[in-house]
Amino acid sequence: MALLPCGVHFRTYRGDRAYFHTKYQWACFIAFLILLFTFPLWVGIRYVAMFNVTAIYIIAVVGLQITSGYTGQTNLGQSAFMGMGAFVCASLSTNLNLPFWLTIPAGGLGAAIFGALFGIPALRIKGFYLALTTIAAQIIFPILIMALPEKLAGGAIGLQMNPARLGPITFDSDVSMYYMFMIVMVVMVYFAFNLVRTRVGRVFVAIRDNDIAAEIMGVNLFYYKTLAFFIGAFYAGVAGGLWAYHLRYVGADQFTIYMSIWFVGMIIVGGLGSILGAIFGTIFLRILQELIMYVGPLLVNFFPNMGDAQMWYASMNIVLGGVIILFLIYEPHGLAHRWNIVKTNYRVWPFPYL
Amino acid sequence: MPDFLIDLIQYTVAGALKGMLYAQVALGFIVIFRAGRILNFGQGEVVVIGGFIIYSFISLPFFPALVKSVFGNVPWWLFLIFALLVSAVIISIFGLLIERFIFRPMIGQPIFTIVMVTIGLMLLLQGLTIAIWGGGDRPFPFLFHEGAVRIGPFIFTRSLFWGGIMSLGIFGALSLLFEKTRWGLKLTAVAEDHAVSQSMGISVKRSIAIAWIISCLLSSWAAVVFLNGMTLTFAAGTIGLTALPVALLAGLESIWGAPVAGIIVGVGEALAAAYLDGYTEGAMSEAFPYLLMLVILLVRPQGLFGWKIIERV
Repeated sequence: MALLPCGVHFRTYRGDRAYFHTKYQWACFIAFLILLFTFPLWVGIRYVAMFNVTAIYIIAVVGLQITSGYTGQTNLGQSAFMGMGAFVCASLSTNLNLPFWLTIPAGGLGAAIFGALFGIPALRIKGFYLALTTIAAQIIFPILIMALPEKLAGGAIGLQMNPARLGPITFDSDVSMYYMFMIVMVVMVYFAFNLVRTRVGRVFVAIRDNDIAAEIMGVNLFYYKTLAFFIGAFYAGVAGGLWAYHLRYVGADQFTIYMSIWFVGMIIVGGLGSILGAIFGTIFLRILQELIMYVGPLLVNFFPNMGDAQMWYASMNIVLGGVIILFLIYEPHGLAHRWNIVKTNYRVWPFPYL
Repeated sequence: MPDFLIDLIQYTVAGALKGMLYAQVALGFIVIFRAGRILNFGQGEVVVIGGFIIYSFISLPFFPALVKSVFGNVPWWLFLIFALLVSAVIISIFGLLIERFIFRPMIGQPIFTIVMVTIGLMLLLQGLTIAIWGGGDRPFPFLFHEGAVRIGPFIFTRSLFWGGIMSLGIFGALSLLFEKTRWGLKLTAVAEDHAVSQSMGISVKRSIAIAWIISCLLSSWAAVVFLNGMTLTFAAGTIGLTALPVALLAGLESIWGAPVAGIIVGVGEALAAAYLDGYTEGAMSEAFPYLLMLVILLVRPQGLFGWKIIERV
C-alpha cells in the first residue's frame, strides 16, 4: 500500500477500501480521463492509430496479468485465446450479421471457454509443464481453424468483415475506433482493478503464493484455477474481437506464439501482480516496438549482410529477449514498483523516508 | 522378405536413428535440468549457435588460413579435429558466459521467472545469430561423407547412421560420468537438492557451470550430426522444439531415458510419416511429438524415468 497523503484518516471500512481517498486524487483521475478521451484532438492521426493497437494489447495483457501475475499460472497461449475471440467475433459478424455489442462479448466468451479448457490441466501440472500445455494451445489453434468449415472460420484465406456499426455511426476511421476501443478498455480495466480486491481476487493471490496451502485453507483449486484461465482468456477474447474490427480481417497466422511472448514480456516489464503494471508494461514495450520500426531501416546501412526483414526480425528478437532478461535480473518487480517508489518519495519529500 | 516388411523395417530403423539425434538434443535439456532445475527453452538455439561456430571454423577462410600459416599443409582429417577442438573451446566459453551472466542470478527464483528467462534467452540468441552471421542460407560442411550407408536391402543417411552409433557411446560415457565419478556424483547431488548439496560442501554454482558446458558441447555435436551437408539457418532451432517432447517422455532427470524416449518418438514420427500422412496431408508426423507430449503431461508428468518429487508446504 502506497503511503497515504497527510491528514487522511478513516471512520468506515468502506472509506479505507476506496481507491481514491482525497478530492485531489479524484481531480487527477478525472483530468486523466478527459485527457484520454480528447487524445485524438491533441496528436496526429498516426499516433491515434498506434494507440488503438496499444489499447487492444492492454486489454489482453490485463487478462494475462490476472492469470499469470495474480494467480501465478504460467500462460504462453494468450495470443491463441485472443485469436479464438477474434474468430468467434468475425464468424458471428459475417455469418449472422450480429452487431458488435453482441459479437465482442460472444468472442470473449468463446475465448474464455477455449482458455478454461487449457486451464484444466493446471490442477495437476505446474511450472514448466503448464507453460508447455499452454504452448500446445498455441500450436493447436491454427490447426483447429484450418480444420473448421471454410464458411465458419475462413480456412486458409481468413475472414473479411464489415466495420462495426452503431445506429448512424460507422467505426471505420482511426478516430472513431479510438473511442470505441477506449470505452471498452476503460470498462475492462475498471473491472480488473476491482476483481483483484474481491474474494475471488484474494483467492487468486493465495493460489499464487502457495497452492497447496490455499487448498488446505479450503480453496477449491480446480474451480479457481480454471476460473483464472476463464477470466484471463475472456479478456484476450474481447481484445481479439476489437482486433477483428480494427483490421476487418482475421487469419490464423496473425496469432502467433511470438505475440504471446510479447504479452508475457509486457507483464514482466510492468511488474507481476499489478494491473497498473500491465498497463505500464504494455505502453513501454509498444513504444519500443514503434522505435524499432523507425530505427530498424536506418540500421540496415550499418549491417550490409542483412535485408530489411531480417534486420527487423533480429532487432525485435534482441530487444524483446534482452528486455525480458534485464528486467527479470535487475528489476523483477517491474515498472509498477518504480512508480510506487516515485509516488512515495513525492509524498514524503523533503524527507528521505518516514 | 516381402516388400512391405522391408519398408516397415527401413522406416523403423531410420526413425530410430533420427530418434537418437533427438535424444542427443534432449540430453542437452536433461543435463541442464538436472543441475539447475532449469528447463532451457533456448536449447534449440544453442544447437544452432554451436552449428554456426563450427561452420565458422571449418568453412570460413580465416581459420584454415591461420592453420596453414602456422603448421603448413596439414591433412584434412587433422585440420578437422583441430577445428572441432577449437570450436569446442569457444562453445564451452559461450556456455560459461550464459551461465555466469544470465542463470546465476536465477538460482532460487520462482519457476515463472526461470521459464521466462529461458524464453528471453531463446529470442536473444535467435536475434544475435542473425546479427552476427546474417540471415542468409549457407551450406554446412560435410563432416561425414555424402551418400548413404547400405546394409542388405536397407539404406540409411550416413551422418545419422554413424551419429546414432556414436551417440550410444556418448550416453554410456555420460551415465558413467554421472554415476561413477566423484565429479558426476556431485552433479547428481545438486540435481536432488541445492540446499543440501551446498551444506555438504558441493558448489552449486560450479556444478551448474559444468552442466552448461556439457550441455552446450552435446548440442553442438548434435548440430554436426543433424546439419551435415544441409543448409544452415537460424530456423534449424526448431529441432529444440521436437526434442522437448523426448526430454519430457524420458523424464527430465534420466540419462538413459533419453535414447529410449528418442527411439519411441523417432519411430512413431517415421511410421506416422510413412503410413498416416497420406490421409492427413502431412499433419500427423508433425503433430505426433506434441500430441505425445500432451498425453505424457496429463498422464505422467514426471515422464518414464523421471523422479517423482513430493511437494510439501
